[in-house]
Amino acid sequence: MSFLEVRDLKKHFPIRTGILKRTTGHVYAVDGISFSIEEGETLGIVGESGCGKSTAARVILRLLEATAGSVVYDGIDVMKASRVEMQRLRRDMQIIFQDPYASLNPRMRVRNIIGEPLRIHQIGTPAERRQRVIELLETVGLNAEHAERYPHEFSGGQRQRIGVARALALNPRLIICDEPVSALDVSIRAQVINLLEDLQDQFKLTYVFIAHDLSVVKHTSDRVVVMYLGKTVEIASSDVLYDRPQHPYTEALLSAVPIPDPETERNRRRIVLEGDVPSPTKPPAGCVFHPRCQRAQEVCETAMPPLECTGDAGADHMVACYFATRYEGVPKRDAPSKDTGEAPAR
Amino acid sequence: MDELLLDVQDLSTHFMTHAGVVKAVNGVSFTLHRNETIGIVGESGSGKTVAALSLLRLVPDPPGKIVEGKILLKGRDLREVSNEEIRAVRGNDIAMIFQDPMTSLNPVFKVGMQIAEAIMLHQDKSRRDAWRMAAELLAKVGIPDAESRVNQYPFEFSGGMRQRAMIAMAISCNPDILIADEPTTALDVTIQAQIIDVVREMQAQYNSGVILITHDLGVVAEIADKVMVMYGGRTVEYGPIDEIFYNPHHPYTWGLLGSLPRLDLVEKERLTPIKGQPPDLLMLPPGCPFSGRCGYERPDECPLTMPDTEIVGPEHGVRCWIPNDERVSARSELPRFVARSK
Repeated sequence: MSFLEVRDLKKHFPIRTGILKRTTGHVYAVDGISFSIEEGETLGIVGESGCGKSTAARVILRLLEATAGSVVYDGIDVMKASRVEMQRLRRDMQIIFQDPYASLNPRMRVRNIIGEPLRIHQIGTPAERRQRVIELLETVGLNAEHAERYPHEFSGGQRQRIGVARALALNPRLIICDEPVSALDVSIRAQVINLLEDLQDQFKLTYVFIAHDLSVVKHTSDRVVVMYLGKTVEIASSDVLYDRPQHPYTEALLSAVPIPDPETERNRRRIVLEGDVPSPTKPPAGCVFHPRCQRAQEVCETAMPPLECTGDAGADHMVACYFATRYEGVPKRDAPSKDTGEAPAR
Repeated sequence: MDELLLDVQDLSTHFMTHAGVVKAVNGVSFTLHRNETIGIVGESGSGKTVAALSLLRLVPDPPGKIVEGKILLKGRDLREVSNEEIRAVRGNDIAMIFQDPMTSLNPVFKVGMQIAEAIMLHQDKSRRDAWRMAAELLAKVGIPDAESRVNQYPFEFSGGMRQRAMIAMAISCNPDILIADEPTTALDVTIQAQIIDVVREMQAQYNSGVILITHDLGVVAEIADKVMVMYGGRTVEYGPIDEIFYNPHHPYTWGLLGSLPRLDLVEKERLTPIKGQPPDLLMLPPGCPFSGRCGYERPDECPLTMPDTEIVGPEHGVRCWIPNDERVSARSELPRFVARSK
């Protein structure tokens, strides 16, 4: 049993229109994702805006109720946990938000912001909590005198450190980092990434690292999940994914990232995807990527390919594509044809 | 070398605030030729956007004021011309693409109208002709079904399409200079790649000079011919693209390059961030704005006076007090450059 096991997780938001607020459709924000995480590992989730990565994070923490599927944390089904159980679970599972300007209450002093989780979970006496806040500030590279200040007195990088300190307050085991560095300047970004890495070593943390920046995810993660329009299209260890991507979307995504090296840039062939990401209210039938895919054939329009291991680049490399890229020395898998009905229903 | 379009000399733009004078741009010089792309790189608050706005005299006055320098557009100083003349320059000679396509389009006018407006303002065209041109321009920047898209409102466009519409508007009067202020920052990477391609195609077609303002060194590596690195309102280093990436001389440029996670490197190396926090622009030292975060600084020189530009290579200048040979040896000890100096 893995540390965290996500099975076929779905989150559909109803769209209500008219004065009767009748449900006229759904936003298929997360539409069946599965993965597992081992303790101490960093799992990256990448994808473009609207692919459902942040919704997935919130559903895993049960900040949003799932439409279907299960999340099992350390043997406990998070989706079915009672209120009391949930409160205990929340100590273990914390989140760091993207925007350090919006995620800290501007009217609270830093000491109250960081101390709030301790107060809610009734840990320690007020004096002990004060001590703990100072300890936490020092852990994230700030100091005791910062405790009495308000968020507006800090720069973006420092605020994100405060957010990290708050997430650490309850000694969690799992932290979901939802785009923790994308709002920060390049030079500050590296500071926060290094801080997160140090904290992981120090406290044996498990991270789910969500980002749209592939180079950041590659740098921080052991394994990476690539999402597109609510679906998982590929999972692999980060080195393998970047070296031997199999899904055409992953390949396009990787080739679209500009590399800060003029020489490399001049010699690189880029795959430029056409068009935009379709709306998650009307995901395309079949493989969600087929309208933008250069390899798409008839079968891709009828059924979403299952996420499976092609036995190609190791057992933990899973891809959801009928025409996944093959690498040397691996037998070709036949694409299921429409009339034999081999393609699984959506 | 192609025709010299723009020659900016010693440009300074200050903001007079209640708290004091903010020297947002402080003695910045650069040139731009036809068919050339200059990347202006720096973090938030480095003055790169204010520098670009100053070129068009778009800095709000008060509190902002261009206090010094020359902005020579084909020899004519834009600081000297009348308000009417600068309006003719805007959009016609120099056009700008803004960072956020969501807020820079007017939500209550049709996209076609907004493009046609610029055409009617600068060219002697009828309304009907301007609309027809708007549709052609949208098609040119790669918007499918442009004929019907001109009649839509911005909210009906996706982020990437809005940015394409902004580009269509910018090129509508065939400008000599295109300023792109963080044109792809608000967009996803696959859309970013599309937009970069459009900018490149438009530049090739109209032989414009492009000023690309960005914090993303990846984008710079992809399309710029030369780079100017700004920090705290100052140019700290400038040079041809290869010089900046392979022979950087300023510690801030090293810091920028060293703090980027790289997609193309197999080895997972620890990032070398720039220490400290971004500077408070109200309290910049009279000398080098990077002193205090630099790590190589000389306390009796660096914070007190700004060094002159030292030429360290072809068209490559740096403003730093550290002597050249010491700089080169300090750089060779940085993780990123150890691997590079093969």
